[in-house]
Amino acid sequence: MLKVTDLHAGYGDSEVLHSLSLHVDEGEAVIVLGPNGHGKTTLLRAISGLLRPTAGNVELNGTSLSHLRAEEIVAAGVIHIPQGDLVFPEMTVMENLLMGAYRIEAWRERKQKFEQVFHLFPILAERKNQLARSLSGGERRMLALGRGLMGKAQILMIDEPSLGLAPLIIEQLYETIKEINQSGLSILLVDENADHITVADRVYLLESGVLVREGSAEEMLRDEALLATYLG
Amino acid sequence: MEKLAEAIYGGLLSGSVLGLMALGLTLIWGSLRMLNLAHGSLYLVGGYVAWTLINWYDLPIWPAFVVGVVAAALVGLVLQITLINPILGKPGWDNASLIATVGASIALESIVLLIFGARVKQMPVALEGQFTLGTISKANQGLLIIVAALLSLFLLSAFLRRSRHGMAIRAVSQQTDAALLMGIPTRQIFLIVMVVSAALAGLAGVLLSSIFYLTPTAGFNPMIKALVVTIFGGLGSIKGTIWAAYIIGLLEAFLIVYMGSSWALPGLFLFMIVMLVIRPNGLFGLGEMQRL
Repeated sequence: MLKVTDLHAGYGDSEVLHSLSLHVDEGEAVIVLGPNGHGKTTLLRAISGLLRPTAGNVELNGTSLSHLRAEEIVAAGVIHIPQGDLVFPEMTVMENLLMGAYRIEAWRERKQKFEQVFHLFPILAERKNQLARSLSGGERRMLALGRGLMGKAQILMIDEPSLGLAPLIIEQLYETIKEINQSGLSILLVDENADHITVADRVYLLESGVLVREGSAEEMLRDEALLATYLG
Repeated sequence: MEKLAEAIYGGLLSGSVLGLMALGLTLIWGSLRMLNLAHGSLYLVGGYVAWTLINWYDLPIWPAFVVGVVAAALVGLVLQITLINPILGKPGWDNASLIATVGASIALESIVLLIFGARVKQMPVALEGQFTLGTISKANQGLLIIVAALLSLFLLSAFLRRSRHGMAIRAVSQQTDAALLMGIPTRQIFLIVMVVSAALAGLAGVLLSSIFYLTPTAGFNPMIKALVVTIFGGLGSIKGTIWAAYIIGLLEAFLIVYMGSSWALPGLFLFMIVMLVIRPNGLFGLGEMQRL
């Protein structure tokens, strides 16, 4: 459903992604693994329109997204959950979630969406009237995920969900991501370490802005030497 | 005792008007990070349009007031589309937006001067009569201004808290990237902010020009005072701005009543300087971090 072809993107004169192609099928969970600074976040930003690609094409279900603005890409159903959460600090949990449903199509269904999100993250229901800045790191990550789920997503793109969290919370989070995927939503996740590649159906290895390998999660796990080479 | 009542009433009155002016400035600062120096001209637009309709076209006062406010909002819309949007998000935004808004204010003031001349105009009062408060007697118009301002402040904060677009304004000002990722069209939101803010300035112009005179430079003083209020309240903070408006309004009124009106502006600036030394981030000490 999501198809990226020959994507080039970067900042100013320095190109970060060089002719990158990947695809995510309907209902599939895909992980792009790569070390810090090799272009994972740039890839997601280029797909979601925060960064304009210099060349190449991004398609969703056959429609090109390349010339759309960020808000139109969201409307098309590509939802990007950014690194570092970027919650709205001076708004309550409830208001943050509502902003995830800002697009009018999602806004009309906000009541059902609330139920889904609160079912996945009961802690958010408990904290619903608290300001987002008063949440713990793990709760913020859940809020960022929940906010993304409030929209009408066809595919969810998640940037390093484990960054800076305690191990126990990380485990819970990946469980939830798996659950979200099993409910039918496609997922494109970028990650720095290979600890959780089992949530994915397929894995790409990204190095210096180029995808160097692709395979199923099981294949990758069997090839531990390879993972070790790329990710230290 | 009479002096005290006089000062408190005067403070509430000028605090209300300052609040209207300052909230517009703070909304724009909070979301666009722009100091809108054309804000005083929007005050003029409101005042002069209403005055013209009443005196040249014999329109009744209330509809003329409404049209004045709408006209200011429209001018804000046009300014945003023609002047601000082209430089939005380009390098040098801070300076470019300052120069663009100063330019717009000079142009608008000159237009007013060309059409109406420099002679002062006075708006008729919307509410005749007096009311007495203990031993002092005051014009009903003043009461109208206070009520209208409080009502607008209340409506605005309800809009920002409860409505989809109001929340989006706060979201954009707190975390622009995330707002984009939620599918919030930031440019459209900026347009809404500008229109609301211009309408507030227009409303201040309409209400105040029955107390103060209308001249082509009449928007300057309210804008400067509103600027003091927004800085005092912590730029970009709604709650801070409303508190600051009434504190500064009261301070000004007390200065006028007890020390003479020539002390009002110097006193305010002195206060602001001291304030900036003690609390550089404004009344609530939230500063840069605190947005709408």
